[in-house]
Amino acid sequence: MQSLTRNYFTLFNLPEACELDQESLSAEYRRQQGEVHPDRFANAEEPEKLRAVQLSSYLNEAYETLKSPLRRAAYLLSLRDIDVEQVNQNDLSMDLLLEQIQLREKLDELPKDESALVSLDALRSEVNVKLEKQEKKFAEFFDLEDFNEAKKVYHELQFFYKLSTEINADEELRLGY
Amino acid sequence: MALLQIQEPGGKQAKPLHRRAVGIDLGTTNSLVAASFGPGVETLPDSADQHLLPSVVHYAKGKPPLVGVEAKALLVDDPLNTIASVKRLLGKSLSELKAKQDYLPFEFDEARADGAPAILTEAGSKDVVQISADILGALVERAESSLKGTLEGAVITVPAYFNDAQRQQTKDAAQLAGLKVLRLLNEPTAAAVAYGLDSNDQGNVVVFDLGGGTFDVSLLSLKNGVFEVLATGGDTSLGGDDIDHAIAEWIAAQLQESAGVAVPSIARLRQLANAAKHELSDKNQTTIVIDEWSALLDESALRELTADMIRRTVTSCRRVLRDAGLSAADIDNIVMVGGSTRMPLVRDAVAEFFGKTPLTDIDADKVVAIGAGIQADVLIGNKSPDSFLLLDVNPLSLGIETMGELVEKIIPRNTTIPVAKAQEFTTFKDGQTVMSLHVVQGERELVSDCRSLARFELRDIPAMVAGAAKIRVSFQVDADGLLSVSAQELSTGKKAEIQVKPSYGLEFSVIEEMLQDSQSHAKLDMEARSIKEAQLEATQLLDAIANALLVDGNLLSREEADSLSESIKALEITMTTGSSVQIHAATEELNKASSEFAAKRMDLHIANALRGESIDAVEK
Repeated sequence: MQSLTRNYFTLFNLPEACELDQESLSAEYRRQQGEVHPDRFANAEEPEKLRAVQLSSYLNEAYETLKSPLRRAAYLLSLRDIDVEQVNQNDLSMDLLLEQIQLREKLDELPKDESALVSLDALRSEVNVKLEKQEKKFAEFFDLEDFNEAKKVYHELQFFYKLSTEINADEELRLGY
Repeated sequence: MALLQIQEPGGKQAKPLHRRAVGIDLGTTNSLVAASFGPGVETLPDSADQHLLPSVVHYAKGKPPLVGVEAKALLVDDPLNTIASVKRLLGKSLSELKAKQDYLPFEFDEARADGAPAILTEAGSKDVVQISADILGALVERAESSLKGTLEGAVITVPAYFNDAQRQQTKDAAQLAGLKVLRLLNEPTAAAVAYGLDSNDQGNVVVFDLGGGTFDVSLLSLKNGVFEVLATGGDTSLGGDDIDHAIAEWIAAQLQESAGVAVPSIARLRQLANAAKHELSDKNQTTIVIDEWSALLDESALRELTADMIRRTVTSCRRVLRDAGLSAADIDNIVMVGGSTRMPLVRDAVAEFFGKTPLTDIDADKVVAIGAGIQADVLIGNKSPDSFLLLDVNPLSLGIETMGELVEKIIPRNTTIPVAKAQEFTTFKDGQTVMSLHVVQGERELVSDCRSLARFELRDIPAMVAGAAKIRVSFQVDADGLLSVSAQELSTGKKAEIQVKPSYGLEFSVIEEMLQDSQSHAKLDMEARSIKEAQLEATQLLDAIANALLVDGNLLSREEADSLSESIKALEITMTTGSSVQIHAATEELNKASSEFAAKRMDLHIANALRGESIDAVEK
């Protein structure tokens, strides 16, 4: 059984890095869930059951953290004792803020019905390209151990993720979900 | 015979006993029980060889409850004592149910102290847990006579969309019926298990479940025996009943065109519509006959009548794909569940959307019970635990109420369970020693639009300035999808915990409305949220100034005090009526107006501090 305090990368036998092999991650996740999941203890005593719930929850949390590039980035920084919650206004470049405003204006100006779906798709692709670019940039700074710059890029990444969530919400609105 | 069971010392170990465990599909209309027989799992029939048990219970004075076909036969003659579709009542408060009184012929028990809904019958007051337990009891009896012995455990299925209250009551009902619950299993997951085990399939499976009254769609990934639910969605007020209704309306409209024919009762129309629907599953057209009158309903007319409903199911499929980050081409298999998927129009629409023919080999009515039976067999230990594992998700977001009646989501929907998450909160007022925690479930941003699950209090927080205390709130959802919440003040370690049980007696919007509303209100929520946030900011400033005035009001001249109180009034009025922008502006205005006062206080406190008096002492 695993302990509840191990480094998530060690937990999955993966190198502690920005680039990550998703296949190995999910294969190892499934293997370990097979050992600790509460269903394996359906007939066990109460304390064992509780332990299984804890371990399985911990494994799920670790998996979700490493699976998402944004959460993985924050986790990597936290392992370097960088507090990503602390945002300094000066960390955000004027160019980025202007770009965000422009993208948001684009989103707001789209018609509020299904005719906007194609433009929404286009906007999503545009944001995805930027996201991938930022993810690469984060990895570069992180590998150079320039954690201050990496933190700035992380906050930029957050902006793009937020925007991408809003594009999805807007799409759902138009599809009448 | 007994002698044969005595084992010789050192002799060969006997084959381990086959333990009796069943899978139960506790359905709205019908229920089923399944168990393993030799190689496979099968649903168990009653003595009349019927597998489906109508989920209807009849209560008569001094007699045990009557469940199934015989109870169903009494629905028309004894509606007050015959209860059908109890599953629809699970997890609801009495007031919610009474709002729907026109659909329910029962009399509710107003005297029940806990506000839990209970129905007055000849045999006394029966709550929804008791009624569900009576249905389960009939299934247990059937299984025990069929398996010749006492049951040791059961897996019970619930719709993926069931909320915490509905799951908890299902589990309570099973316990009341004397069952050991091995697991509450989501219905679509059970269906995927029924299909997935024989073939060593790999890939992505969509489970499309269109029943009588609800529609569920789930997307699972299957790899090396692990079923991982990637996303789930659906529409809790869409099903075969709506199709019957549409056909019934069509018949009524046709009748009106031909003069001189009396329109039959709604019940009769529904019956005719249902029969026509079934006919059209095998034929291209059917004739509806009422006395001398007749009308022809063909497939293209039916297609038109059902177009909107079928479009809604496809929309849900699209959303689930999006939630999982997949496209239709990534889906390897589609599993059909529920009687309504027998309609060729439904099958065609699904095949067209995914570009693949859906699987229909297993009886759509039995597939969920069979999957639950397979899982029960594994959990009780009859099958190797390595054979498969089910990883489910929580269907609805769970969160906590924060200041300004906003919801802070702690566990978002579609998170794999079990899951534990914690978040830190702080106090809002100076010297606050009690924190009330309100746990809610739903997708919307305002508390009033979500379902309230529980309220509890953390007491004896050491008095500190606003924002200084650190309170960690932890959510734990177990493998059955049931939630428990605890709160801890970090400096003292003081703890409060609650196992979430359904809370009754409050007016809540029903779950189906919540789900559908959540997305269409996203925009509205954003402005509402901005207003709440602006109000919060304003309240904090007003409180701070009121406190300061109380202590150091004498520092201000008459004119200064008047001008400050004008700004305070202006903000108080704007706060209740203005937009978020206006509230911000008024807050900013008051901030400016009070800056002189703040500066004077600061000077005084520095002067006091220099004299050696602590600021604390001055404040008191």
